Amino acid sequence: MMKKLISLALAGALMLALAACGGDEPGNINDVSPAPSAPASQQPSGAPTSGGAQELTFVLSNEPDGIDPGVTNNSFAKYVLNNCFEGLVTYDESGSVVPGNAESWDISDDGTVYTFHLRDGLKWSDGSPLTAQDYVYAYQRVLTPATAAQYMSMFTDYIVNAKEFYEGSATADELGIKALDDTTLEIALMKPTAYFVDLASMWCFDPVQKATIDANGDRWTASADSYICNGPFKMTAINMGEGYVLEKNEHYWNADSVTLEKLTLRIITDNATALTAYESGEVDGITAIPAADYSRLKASDPGFNSFPSYSTTYYNINCGKPPYDDPLVRKALALAIDRQAIIDSVLQGRGVPAYSYLSPGYVVDGKDITDGRSDNELTAGANVEAARAALAEAGYPNGEGFPTLQLSYYSSDTVKMIAEAMAEMLQNNLGIKVDISSNDWAVFYDSVQAGNYEVAAMGWSADYQHPMSFLPLFKTGDSSNNSFYSNSEYDALVEQVMVESDPAKAAELIMQAEAIAAGDYCCLPLYYGTNTFLMKDYVSGYYMTSSSNLYFQNVKVNK
Amino acid sequence: MVKYFAKRLGMMLAAMLAIIVLTFCLMHAVPGGPFTSDRKATPEVEAALNEKFGLNDPLPVQLLRYMDGLLHGDFGPSYKYSGKTVNDFIETFFPVSAKIGLITVVFVLLAAIPMGIFAAVKNGKWQDMLIMAVATIGVTIPSFVIASLLIYFFSHQLGWTPAYWDWSAAGYILPVVALGGYSVSYLARLMRSSLLEVMGQDYIRTARAKGLSEFQVITRHALRNALLPIITVLGPTVAGLLTGSFVIETIFAIPGLGKWFVNGVSQRDYTTIMGITIFYAAFLMAMTLIVDIFYCLIDPRIKYES
Repeated sequence: MMKKLISLALAGALMLALAACGGDEPGNINDVSPAPSAPASQQPSGAPTSGGAQELTFVLSNEPDGIDPGVTNNSFAKYVLNNCFEGLVTYDESGSVVPGNAESWDISDDGTVYTFHLRDGLKWSDGSPLTAQDYVYAYQRVLTPATAAQYMSMFTDYIVNAKEFYEGSATADELGIKALDDTTLEIALMKPTAYFVDLASMWCFDPVQKATIDANGDRWTASADSYICNGPFKMTAINMGEGYVLEKNEHYWNADSVTLEKLTLRIITDNATALTAYESGEVDGITAIPAADYSRLKASDPGFNSFPSYSTTYYNINCGKPPYDDPLVRKALALAIDRQAIIDSVLQGRGVPAYSYLSPGYVVDGKDITDGRSDNELTAGANVEAARAALAEAGYPNGEGFPTLQLSYYSSDTVKMIAEAMAEMLQNNLGIKVDISSNDWAVFYDSVQAGNYEVAAMGWSADYQHPMSFLPLFKTGDSSNNSFYSNSEYDALVEQVMVESDPAKAAELIMQAEAIAAGDYCCLPLYYGTNTFLMKDYVSGYYMTSSSNLYFQNVKVNK
Repeated sequence: MVKYFAKRLGMMLAAMLAIIVLTFCLMHAVPGGPFTSDRKATPEVEAALNEKFGLNDPLPVQLLRYMDGLLHGDFGPSYKYSGKTVNDFIETFFPVSAKIGLITVVFVLLAAIPMGIFAAVKNGKWQDMLIMAVATIGVTIPSFVIASLLIYFFSHQLGWTPAYWDWSAAGYILPVVALGGYSVSYLARLMRSSLLEVMGQDYIRTARAKGLSEFQVITRHALRNALLPIITVLGPTVAGLLTGSFVIETIFAIPGLGKWFVNGVSQRDYTTIMGITIFYAAFLMAMTLIVDIFYCLIDPRIKYES
């Protein structure tokens, strides 16, 4: 202990000495020798360590629960899956769906049969050929109960006989997924689903190699040798609890365009440690920025990145439980919240006030379909007068007679601060009593699903870039509808969206449906999300889609 | 004595059985399950998962099946991490935690015992005051504060050590100091008070009367008895340090067992919770047993009778 104090004192003294020299930041710190040379002048930090090597270390904030594209739906897996695998389609820098493994595709006139034409000479990372049969194998595997594929419903909801195949009542021949030849894959849909190509960008539609799965079973994702993939990068090391090392995949069809040789994905769950590693130059980028440092980095760090994300943070209101079954009560709650204050003081500016559960971000014919929609009388600030009026109209003038509101949230620093701010706003602005309670996620989510709550913290980030990722949240009987909102008109419109093959018409239906649910205050919308991360300014070419998928295939390290 | 230790072993087995059954029941009593994630699984998927892991069977059947696997050294598959087993977790993470823990134990002993002796010898003088002041601070400041300060000074400001675990030799320094800080302080205080107590006893006066130097009195006579309390707490301390600390492993991004255990609990990864609990329990029991054996060796007065 004494040793430590002395070292600390020495450290302090050295810091003062360094500050006196005028160099306020030490240079790059990959060198761990205990003799730092005090920077004599204001040299830019981040001096080159390994002359121009195309290598990059990026920090992930959490461990994915698996990296099997056919199985997992865990959002932390995306960094591995989007860079190691490529499906039929992928996303480009502008966020549009572009050809991936499929060079092109045809859609039948009635919109129900998609024929994908694969590129010639596609290969797995082990050099063996990749054909349309591999796709059929991968999709049949998702539809095998023993696989326990989390995204199974992305197939069973849309593809002919997929549900029957899963249940064992249809054969592989009857399934609407067929390889017509080595490079032609035909997928037959139950209905003309206009957004099927968006769905096909999800990683559950990536191919997986039969040979390695036959040889290794579940454990094919456990070691780099058996982790055969087909994307711009291949796996060279899997270190559980630590991270992944990816290298350029020379068998990727577009390998010539990939410059980055080595990508290390390091898992550091403590955001402050990750930031220190970034600022001292040990790593080149980090996914999660500590809230306390957000404003400073936004203002001063050239590596600060902010991308809109297709996500909404809102509070579920239990529409099945009086008095919350009254839209006027829900309206009063929604009006009483000062969204801007939450965004400014809790989120440090990381968000956009939301007046609906449906995030903007889906574009048809160059126009965001949510442009010009109603704000449902909500504003960025609180509208106390209108809120009180709505509550009075519902029969609770000045909050009198209103039962104590139970506000629940799950253990998380940010969520806690938001919940506390909201409780105060509801109490002060509506004159009602609010009890807040928290639980860890598993317990919290269990009670939300069981309908054992009144108002509960929630949020949704889209699985794929289409409003249909959001609409089922408030559809009667949908497994993701935890607010028990039910409106037959809304349900009918959502059903129509699912079968509408014309994107413009679908957009119209979507906005009609959205107007109904949001106008009914089916939830208490707070803010639309923003993805932020740090990447050193000598790194270029990376891009993030609004489903927060980060692509490294065009990355260059310019140092 | 052999009989005594045989009896001890029997009791350990009984305790282990109780731990297994209790953990199993408590774990299933807690709300939430391994398949509660941020995306709700459809009922079909949930059914498939339950089927895959045999979670549809009655709990006693599940427990028996688990114990059967245990007898074959199989801690079962992780419910949360596809394709991984709990054996993988323990084999991968325990060596890392244990290595850091072992280095920390050495650091703790080398720092705490001399500090305690020195403070006792200088009893009441400024050296004693200083060491005890530092030790008090060390006991009261939580390890995450120490760890954050260390990272701030040595990684961020000075750049002498990496901010996160990178397997380099320098990477050990901060975790070891942060992990050992509390134990050093605690053991130094214990060493001091224990030595002071022993120094007041008659046989020490006798030793002094024989004309032995103070150095000889302490090393030959006092230290041996004064070490007994240290050895008592050393068992659990070593077990605690070797099994990994959630806080330290999280802050330094160390792929260790302590962090994985806590994650397993919050994710309701049933087999992970069971496996690591059993492993920890066995480890702690073994350490306590070793301490008891050490007692015999160091103090001939202690004899175990059955």
